[in-house]
Amino acid sequence: MNRMTVKSGQRERLIAGLLRYGTWLASAFIAGGLTLGLLQHLSKPLFVGLGSFAFVKTGVALFILLPVARVVLLLFIFLLERDYVYTAVSALVLVIIGAGLLAGI
Amino acid sequence: METATTLWLFVAAFGASALGGVLGMASGIFIVPILTLLFHMDIHAAIGASLVSVIACSCGSAASFIKGRLTNIRIAIILETATTLGALTGVFLIGIIPTACLYGLFAAVLAISAQQMLARRREAVDANVPDARSWASVLRLHSSYPDHASGRDVPYNVGRVPLGLSLMYGAGLISALLGIGSGVLKIPAMDSALKLPIKVSSATSNFMIGVTAAASAGAYFVRGDIEIGIAGPVALGSVAGARAGARLLLGLPADKLRVFLVVVLGLLAIQMLMSAFGAHIQGGPA
Repeated sequence: MNRMTVKSGQRERLIAGLLRYGTWLASAFIAGGLTLGLLQHLSKPLFVGLGSFAFVKTGVALFILLPVARVVLLLFIFLLERDYVYTAVSALVLVIIGAGLLAGI
Repeated sequence: METATTLWLFVAAFGASALGGVLGMASGIFIVPILTLLFHMDIHAAIGASLVSVIACSCGSAASFIKGRLTNIRIAIILETATTLGALTGVFLIGIIPTACLYGLFAAVLAISAQQMLARRREAVDANVPDARSWASVLRLHSSYPDHASGRDVPYNVGRVPLGLSLMYGAGLISALLGIGSGVLKIPAMDSALKLPIKVSSATSNFMIGVTAAASAGAYFVRGDIEIGIAGPVALGSVAGARAGARLLLGLPADKLRVFLVVVLGLLAIQMLMSAFGAHIQGGPA
């Protein structure tokens, strides 16, 4: 066994943890933003200046970034395992996603 | 966005996700028809919002599949090269393809989903000694999964990776064009081309859906094509619906629900097809 090997159970726990807490965080941003928007709607003078839209937008952006973060995490896990073929495959997926983002700009 | 509309968007996404969740199907396929037919939204805005909810549902449910050791992470990352490339192609094509064609294509995918829901998936697991020179062997894709009935690990071999990759390219393309997870296209591809056990292909497909949708949603987001006021409540409703729905609706008879959803899918297919022709005549979404 290689000293640098990430134990298989540990690898699954890391990925599952990232996705689970990421989903909670993004959902919390959207829920917070929507609630804020609702409160603003009900009592305008109280909450002026707090951007509910920005919260929702952050949540949506977090959701889109979450699977990308998962690929980045996999890339580092494969790198630690010295599994260079799969490190390269993960990098390729990131390059393709990056190309889409660049094309969007 | 009107506060009332925001609430209704949340409720609609919650309901679709909860109903779909009982049968273990993704709700993504319902979101675009709901937004275009019920809320009379532009199909491009509906696609953007649906993609975000597809990502949310995939990430929300992936954790338990991974912990159950059903997800084959190596297969997922290999196939993701093809699905994201397909998604990238879709991002370039969506501006060129006429709206009527998008509606037509959507109707076809709805019809396929209805047909698939009626058909029973067949298990064709290959556990013989694999060909050492096949792609799957070189890439070390063969694996095993824990079977709860027998309590043992069931080994499986992976077949025809090149065919799987080309089918996944198509699934990624459709995902970006229609704003769906394309699980309806990914799962049969994995069942038949790669010969994965049903539970493994479901889990692995779900895992890949997030990255595939993120590839196109990221590009649409950067372009400013995702309407936050729609995407936010729809994504939140979908996640909450998937989580709560399975528990709330546990008592519903699965067989009757299956028939109900097949009918709904069929009706939506007809409606989307009519929109396709309507959009063609009027030069805009119905």
